[in-house]
Amino acid sequence: MSYGKKDEDADTGLVKVDRTQVFQEARLFNSSPIQPRKCRVLLTKIVLLLYTGEKFPTNEATTLFFGISKLFQNKDASLRQMVLLAIKELASSAEDIIMVTSTVMKDTGGSTEAIYRPNAIRALCRIIDATTVQAIERVMKTAIVDKNPSVSSAALVSSYHLLPIARDVVRRWQSETQEAAASNKSSGGFSLGFSSSSGNLPINNSTMTQYHAIGLLYQMRSHDRMALVKMVQQFGAAGAVKNPAAIVMLVRLAATLAEEDPSLRKPMMQLLDNWLRHKSEMVNFEAAKAICDMRDVTDAEVTQAVHVLQLFLTSPRAVTKFAALRILHNFASFKPQAVSACNPDIELLISNSNRSIATFAITTLLKTGNEASVDRLMKQISGFMTEITDEFKITIVEAIRTLCLKFPSKQAGMLQFLSGILREEGGYEFKRAVVESMFDLIKFVPDSKEDALAHLCEFIEDCEFTKLAVRILYLLGLEGPQTSQPTKYIRYIYNRVVLENSIVRAAAVNALAKFGVGQKDPEVKRSVQVLLSRCLDDVDDEVRDRAAFHLRLMAEEDAFAAKFVKNDTMFSLQYFEHQLVSYVTSEDKSTFKDAFDISSIPVVTREQADAEDRTKKLTASTPSLKPPKVGPTKAAPTGAEAAASASAAAQQYAQELLQIPEMKEFGALLKSSPVIELTEAETEYVVTVVKHIFKEHVVLQYEVKNTLPSTVLENVSVVASPSDEEELEEVFIIQAEKLDTDVPGRVYVAFRKVNGEGSLPTSSFSNVLRFTSKEIDPTTNEPEESGYDDEYEVAEFDLSGSDYVIPAFASNFAHIWEQIGASGEEAEETLQLSSIKSIADATEQLAKTLSLQPLEGTDVPVNQTTHTLKLLGKTVSGGRVVANVRMAYSSKSGVTTKITVRSEEEGVAALVIGSVA
Amino acid sequence: MAGLFRKVYDWLLRTFWATEMDVTMIGLQNAGKTSLLRVLSGGEFTIDTIPTVGFNMKRVQRGHVTLKCWDLGGQPRFRPMWERYCRGVNAIVFIVDIADMAVLPDAREELHALMTQPSLEGIPLLVLGNKSDLQDKLTVDELIDAMDLKNVTNREVSCYGISAKEETNLEAVLQWLMKFANR
Repeated sequence: MSYGKKDEDADTGLVKVDRTQVFQEARLFNSSPIQPRKCRVLLTKIVLLLYTGEKFPTNEATTLFFGISKLFQNKDASLRQMVLLAIKELASSAEDIIMVTSTVMKDTGGSTEAIYRPNAIRALCRIIDATTVQAIERVMKTAIVDKNPSVSSAALVSSYHLLPIARDVVRRWQSETQEAAASNKSSGGFSLGFSSSSGNLPINNSTMTQYHAIGLLYQMRSHDRMALVKMVQQFGAAGAVKNPAAIVMLVRLAATLAEEDPSLRKPMMQLLDNWLRHKSEMVNFEAAKAICDMRDVTDAEVTQAVHVLQLFLTSPRAVTKFAALRILHNFASFKPQAVSACNPDIELLISNSNRSIATFAITTLLKTGNEASVDRLMKQISGFMTEITDEFKITIVEAIRTLCLKFPSKQAGMLQFLSGILREEGGYEFKRAVVESMFDLIKFVPDSKEDALAHLCEFIEDCEFTKLAVRILYLLGLEGPQTSQPTKYIRYIYNRVVLENSIVRAAAVNALAKFGVGQKDPEVKRSVQVLLSRCLDDVDDEVRDRAAFHLRLMAEEDAFAAKFVKNDTMFSLQYFEHQLVSYVTSEDKSTFKDAFDISSIPVVTREQADAEDRTKKLTASTPSLKPPKVGPTKAAPTGAEAAASASAAAQQYAQELLQIPEMKEFGALLKSSPVIELTEAETEYVVTVVKHIFKEHVVLQYEVKNTLPSTVLENVSVVASPSDEEELEEVFIIQAEKLDTDVPGRVYVAFRKVNGEGSLPTSSFSNVLRFTSKEIDPTTNEPEESGYDDEYEVAEFDLSGSDYVIPAFASNFAHIWEQIGASGEEAEETLQLSSIKSIADATEQLAKTLSLQPLEGTDVPVNQTTHTLKLLGKTVSGGRVVANVRMAYSSKSGVTTKITVRSEEEGVAALVIGSVA
Repeated sequence: MAGLFRKVYDWLLRTFWATEMDVTMIGLQNAGKTSLLRVLSGGEFTIDTIPTVGFNMKRVQRGHVTLKCWDLGGQPRFRPMWERYCRGVNAIVFIVDIADMAVLPDAREELHALMTQPSLEGIPLLVLGNKSDLQDKLTVDELIDAMDLKNVTNREVSCYGISAKEETNLEAVLQWLMKFANR
């Protein structure tokens, strides 16, 4: 039997139930008179099979169904319940299921006290098709408002399932649903155990009906925001709804509403705040979580929620503590200072006997803590590291990794911790996480390099994972030759050649070669040569080949050899992958005639790749402003995604511009600015601009969209006049021939730099859109013969210093700062940014406007009042630009910044500063 | 106490003398199957019966015999399922609206198609011309010709004219059905 999903555990402890056997037994249904008890057992078996993932083929299901339908002649209430249940489950697989519609419908109405009424309602909604839904409308309406919660719930849930197939009909049941949601039922009276024997409905005091009703109401109104708001407010009032599950639903709804519509944020926040004091714990948690997940939540808004969670931290129940801690843990990722109020309570939990709680407590503290507490926490974790599972260990390692990047000064302690746990037992995933963290340390925290390399060397001495050994060897080859004592590493590497399997040996040979090629010290070079020649006797082909190749290279000129061994540039991998995928999945057969052209893939330097990588790593685990949200309502792309899409966009621009013959002679595209909007999004004509910088030219790419219905714009051009005409000279305009409604078109305006390639002209541009507007004749759908010429003025924009700068990464800021300070020039500016509300905002904004890369983890401000931001970039012509930005924040005057820029090239420093001023 | 005696009596009756029989009622839509069954089981005649989706099941008690009547929907989409519910029953009742001449050929087609099914061989057939209270109607003889009943062989066939509304001739129908109770 090859039925996909089968519950393997289902059979244990139960009677062995076999599909074919059950099907044989089903002849029982046709016997006369009917034996209710036996039939019930058989029906139970069928339902059990269906529930555990068994499927009856259509013909068997249909036969079963017709057999079962015969059982309607018996009046036994329990049998009828089982029959209805079985029919409901068979509905999807059997044919002609519609046969029982009339009969089941009779059961839904029947005597109001029948125990099988809810079952009948549920079954009815499964067997009915869209055309017959109207016939059951009356039955459903009365059932929804039935005084018994079981019946009412059944009807509501069934309506929920009917909604997709008969939306309009179900929508007419709104007032009944509303009534069901509002009624605080308690069906009076009591019966003692007679219920099932007499076939009557047992008494049910559940308020679950409200949950079902609110769920259905939401589905009915999901398209109408005002109705939803009304619903949340009506049922959100204290005491309107008793059921906690229903309130949890309202909490989620309120949170989504606040997210979608800023104007609703305030009233919804108020509701959420009230729910924090609800008597049910689950409501409190949900409300606190909703508040913490809110976009751009302020400290004031979140205080109450954090306070409530803090109270739960001292609860005696482990699950409560865990839930509270988990919310705090997530929240600490992006607003650590708000959570730090709970630190004393969280501290108590790090020695909790429940390891899940303890792990979360520690990782939360790692996020909220300041530099001072890090060491103490590290010691605490190492205490129980051996007792937790690999998954939790990985969580901790990840937390420490981000911490390393955040507090580079703490690297010594963390490195010791990492190397400590590296020696312990652990699976591949865990070891990999540790090694990755150390790699990052080496890459981004230069001070730790030598120590970290030493630890890694030790690790590969006794490493059971080939993959990791290979990666470490590669890194040793890359970093080793630049250290003060390269010979130290050669020993470790050669040990691998002697002791390991062929894959590791091959990697070790490569690493060795990197020490030899381009080596200045003749002594070292000679010993590498000796070691490599020994490898020529290896039993493995690949190892021998590599050794021979590298020996040959070492004999060559250094400059020539270095090209093969050291790769400082690599292909832009994301774009490479994208191109490869589109090549391989191409529909057009003719694509495959030509081989894939690798030269079309842009090459990035290692520095650029590193810069991107670092931003990604930081943002991936510590988003600075916005909480990460799971679920479909993902609106703003995170930093990492934005970076990825920006680089992809740049590649795309370069390709598009190359297609235009007039621009061929301009040479390679050096930089493209982000898209700048020149109009509001709602105006008649929507215009955006992208600035492209070439060696001797500047090209403005205007994107124009005509939003007026039934008009056509022809010969669209943009008159862009630079304020400084002496430096920029217009070369040509490529106009858009015709713009239909809502179809964007492009206009290119090219300028030449009058003062040649070295100059970096800055200017502001005023832009006027010129076009011929023609109306479309509604009868023929053709534009009229004659139109009128029109102009439309759009906003100005600046071509500034930062347009010539590209972010670049380097590990040692101070060094570069001094270096450039000695040779280049410096400019300084003090600015008052009163509109910016926090240091974090200012950091993000400045790095973006200056178009420079933050270094040494300074893009994550630690202190809320003062911060120093260190930035690095390169001009399009290759000169370096460094900036040191000191900031101070006070609530009165906003952020005060002092920017000092140094540049290798003349005049650049002032230009770059000019772009913020 | 009385209830208990009653139950015991019923139980004795059921166990030793009671017989159950299955009867399937078919016919085109709007022939009057559901109405007839309601009247047979002692209910009131109503005009606004809704079309049967699938089938209805009712028990009709007559002395010590219980008739389990399966009233099947007459719309075209249910007709393929008739055969399934006719298998192994004691009698098939085919109901015709004798005041609606236009659908008679259709009814004849369906009846003959069903009667040729090998699985239903030998099961007695009762054709009822319903709505005899209306003005423009066929007589029983005309109905026999129209339905071509002479050509239905290998089984016992009878044909009555009835009216579910006026409750005419219903006793004869029940008597006829009871004959087959013990087979």
